[in-house]
Amino acid sequence: MTARRFWVFIEQEQGKVHPVAWELLGVARRLASQVAEEAQASGDEVSVEGVLLGHQVRDIAAEAIKYGADRVYLIDDPVLAQYRNCPYYMSIAAVAEKYQPEVFLIGATTLGRDLAGAVATALRTGLTADCTKLEMGEVKGAKQRLLQATRPAFGGNIMATIVCRKHRPQMSSVRPRVFPAAPYNPDAVGEIIAEETGVTEEGARSCILEFVHAQEDTVDIEYSDVIVAGGRGVGGPEGFAVIKALADAMGGVVGASRPCVDAGWIKYPHQVGQTGKTVRPKVYVAAGISGALQHKVGMQNSDFIIAINSDPNAPIFEVADVGIVGDLFEVIPAMIKEIEARKEARV
Amino acid sequence: MNNERIEFDAIVVGAGLAGSAAAMVMARKGLNVALIERGQKPGGKNYFGGAIYTHAIAEVLPDYMDRRPPFERPVTEAGFWFLSRDGITRMTVQGGKLNAEPADAYITLRANFDMWWAEQAQAAGAFLIPKTAVVDFIREENGQVIGVLTDRPQGEVYAPVVIICEGVNNLLAQKLDLISHDLEPAHIALAFKKVISLPMETINARFGLSDDEHGLAVSVLGDVSLGLPGMGFVYTNKTSVSVGLGMMLDKLAEYRLRPYDILDRYLDHPAIAPLVKGGQLLEYGAHLIPEGGYRAMPRLYTGGAMVAGDAAAMVNALHWEGTNMAIIAGQQAAETALEAHSRGDFSEKVMARYEDRLKDGFILQDLKQYRGFANFLETHPQFMDVYPNFLNDALGQFFSAYGKPKKELFRGMLGALTDRRTLFKAAGDIVSMARSVMGW
Amino acid sequence: MFHAVVAVKQVPDTTNIRIDPDTGNLVREGVPAIMNPYDAHALAAAVEWKRRLNGRVTVISMGPPSFTTTIREAIEMGADRGILISDRKLAGADTLATSYVLAEVIRAIHNEDPIDLLLFGKQAIDGDTAQVGPGVGVRLDMPVVTYAVGIRAIDLDDDTVVVERRTERWTEIIETPLPALLTCEKDIAEIPFAPLPDLIKSLRYEPEIWTIEGPVAFEQDMIGVRGSPTIVYQMGTPPLPEAGEVINTRETSIDAAVTFVFQKAEAAGVLGTMLGGGK
Repeated sequence: MTARRFWVFIEQEQGKVHPVAWELLGVARRLASQVAEEAQASGDEVSVEGVLLGHQVRDIAAEAIKYGADRVYLIDDPVLAQYRNCPYYMSIAAVAEKYQPEVFLIGATTLGRDLAGAVATALRTGLTADCTKLEMGEVKGAKQRLLQATRPAFGGNIMATIVCRKHRPQMSSVRPRVFPAAPYNPDAVGEIIAEETGVTEEGARSCILEFVHAQEDTVDIEYSDVIVAGGRGVGGPEGFAVIKALADAMGGVVGASRPCVDAGWIKYPHQVGQTGKTVRPKVYVAAGISGALQHKVGMQNSDFIIAINSDPNAPIFEVADVGIVGDLFEVIPAMIKEIEARKEARV
Repeated sequence: MNNERIEFDAIVVGAGLAGSAAAMVMARKGLNVALIERGQKPGGKNYFGGAIYTHAIAEVLPDYMDRRPPFERPVTEAGFWFLSRDGITRMTVQGGKLNAEPADAYITLRANFDMWWAEQAQAAGAFLIPKTAVVDFIREENGQVIGVLTDRPQGEVYAPVVIICEGVNNLLAQKLDLISHDLEPAHIALAFKKVISLPMETINARFGLSDDEHGLAVSVLGDVSLGLPGMGFVYTNKTSVSVGLGMMLDKLAEYRLRPYDILDRYLDHPAIAPLVKGGQLLEYGAHLIPEGGYRAMPRLYTGGAMVAGDAAAMVNALHWEGTNMAIIAGQQAAETALEAHSRGDFSEKVMARYEDRLKDGFILQDLKQYRGFANFLETHPQFMDVYPNFLNDALGQFFSAYGKPKKELFRGMLGALTDRRTLFKAAGDIVSMARSVMGW
Repeated sequence: MFHAVVAVKQVPDTTNIRIDPDTGNLVREGVPAIMNPYDAHALAAAVEWKRRLNGRVTVISMGPPSFTTTIREAIEMGADRGILISDRKLAGADTLATSYVLAEVIRAIHNEDPIDLLLFGKQAIDGDTAQVGPGVGVRLDMPVVTYAVGIRAIDLDDDTVVVERRTERWTEIIETPLPALLTCEKDIAEIPFAPLPDLIKSLRYEPEIWTIEGPVAFEQDMIGVRGSPTIVYQMGTPPLPEAGEVINTRETSIDAAVTFVFQKAEAAGVLGTMLGGGK
């Protein structure tokens, strides 16, 4: 009997969990169910497990169980209080060597991307980054189902499915908001297993001298339900005023396409797309955005996409649920007026 | 960081047609030549109709055909098309002298050709320095040019002789006071074109070319330029067609005309539209052409420096000659530089030998002969509207007067002229035309 | 003397990717090849510090022979030595095999000429995995700092470097012992216009070419396809989204267009969200 472990890295910083962890627990549960049949036939045990590092974060381990983890390996130590590359990857590598997980998922956040490549190299295994689709599938020549990790290549025009035949764990990183969060079950039960880090403060090598909180808006647009994004058609930094006005009217946040950020019209945290954030809000308004592939891959999973562009041939209309060909500086004020009118009518 | 001077035997500014020719000729004779180009690569900033005349290439590189120049099609048919409002009169020549091999002219695309031309200069030993612009000169107290200053940090390059082939925007020639003023819009044409892709067989069929070893180059006069001085062109590439026109910059400004609109109107003409129907737009581009001719030329040399090509306004507008003048002038500047090296004397006295060489050949002779032409079209707008319309009208009558008494036909045809222009004035126009072309 | 090594990669300029309208495939011809922009900024930072501390910069790259143009660009940007590791047997490498080769090369360079700082761009714009840098750090047992936006100080007596690292929420000031590996954001240094002597040097420069024959003896089953745990199992095109309706304000009025949008929103069940349910 083998233990087939599906691991998820539970990312936390300063006691706050990154929601991507809950999304990945949902994915891990689905992957586990895909091998349930073959596992039963072989008498193997399948489990979804979390790996949590930090200092005084036991309550997060409990949360993870409610989001579907059967057990959580908790490495709680002062040396892990702040994220640093060395102590984190070394601790995880040690615990992975001990428990031999089959699959290991990490969120592709700044922290996750810092960590994932290091863990994969330490374990001498394969890692596929920024996956948009994960399945345990049948692969020619393999006795058991393997992780099929699909990711967009060259701006999303081609979808490449990667497998890692022999090396373990099969690792994959996933961007936030690609998958929905796992269901929350307040009555779920599971184990919390404490593990040692084995890394000393000296072994950690780097030390963080200070944290500088950014003065300007560090808006995190990823988890907003409404995003109004501006593109080149906005014309300049002043053009974003009308974008913000619409976002405010709808209770949402401002996004932007890459050319606007490159031109300095708006800061990088607002960037949506391949080299920016992936978002899946309920409503996404793309104003003055042509809809190049590199942008589309960042927002195409939004529930409802409204596109506004003066060019009727803009590719954004192919992915929009509804489109308006027109001048955004005329259309958006009209939309704001309509929203205010309807809000008043409701009151 | 070493502080050695960067030094060469000669500097050429601009790796276009004149520049690479000059560099090639000097490098072949063993000089250490720096060919300084501001673009990412040679040709990136050059653009034309157009066709290259092989006599000039052969002068500088007799074995050019063995080096596989990037030609599109040979010009096997050439001539004039006269566009009236909705009609066309074609006058072209095929065969005879135009069947020579190699041909006298080949249609080409400048990005490809200039790159190849610069590669030949490099093969001869010239050192190409791209992505670097020359912004000024290093001169001695008495004004003698002894080097150039580029736009890069630590960007001084020394050489006893500099050949300036900077192109139509001759800011460097101005820096040397070879010309006292900036470009005058009345002397500059803006030429703009679209390159439209079509399958090879379609081009062959539509233009009556038997295969891709046949090509058409025509000058188009008349309705293209809205009655203002200008000339259109059509060139067939292997799998695309270049269609465009040139008009004087001052007229474009005065009438607030947008080149793109004029071009679209031209492409919509009932005689032109079917030729490019269904094609894909590959590129749209424009370039300035110095058309002031002889009267707009700068002085051609000073101590340690010479000017060649568009920078020296070496363009004969009527005959679409500029590229060959550039190549020959580059060669003649190079030979002057070689002479200066062997004499150890780079003073103005020796640089003057450049102008002697130019006078011996066709360049200065033709430019002098055509010195009135640039002005001619401006003062004779009837060549852009009256005459093309008359031709179309008269010949149209000729070919539709079946069953009509011929006396009536010929009266009608004459009327087609005299309704537009009196016979006296028409005769005068012919004389003026002859004078401006013959240089009398 | 200060010695920095920068790893660079040549990539297609993915911002200029075009799709063939007939086949829906990538048009590869005519897409210019450039030095990965993040690598270029990392290199600019290395050159800035070599000038300040009087040292030298070595550039390394793993790839086909066409990568020599990128090595020359690196010399133009101020690098002193450029090494291209090129061999057919290295092709098809995933990030694990790539980090193996680069780590072995860096080890060999370090033995000849001790390295203080190792710089990578944060990710390559064609692969976007961001894995090779940290992977090399692990193999060489060097501390890794990713998303570096500035190098505040380098102390060669104490062997430390102080780096500004930017995450989604804040900036960290991290001190780490040398030798250290940094993966860099564009903000780490501006790319200056190269002085003419450097450009001329690059035009005449012949990169060193290392192969599997030497100078480094690579283990055969750690390189190329053999050394890659991951393989591409399948390639496909993404499902085409269904385009929605488009209304043109030149044909109707702006108000009509807006009304239309709200109708569609209501049908899709997101009207409530649009009216301020966003937060």
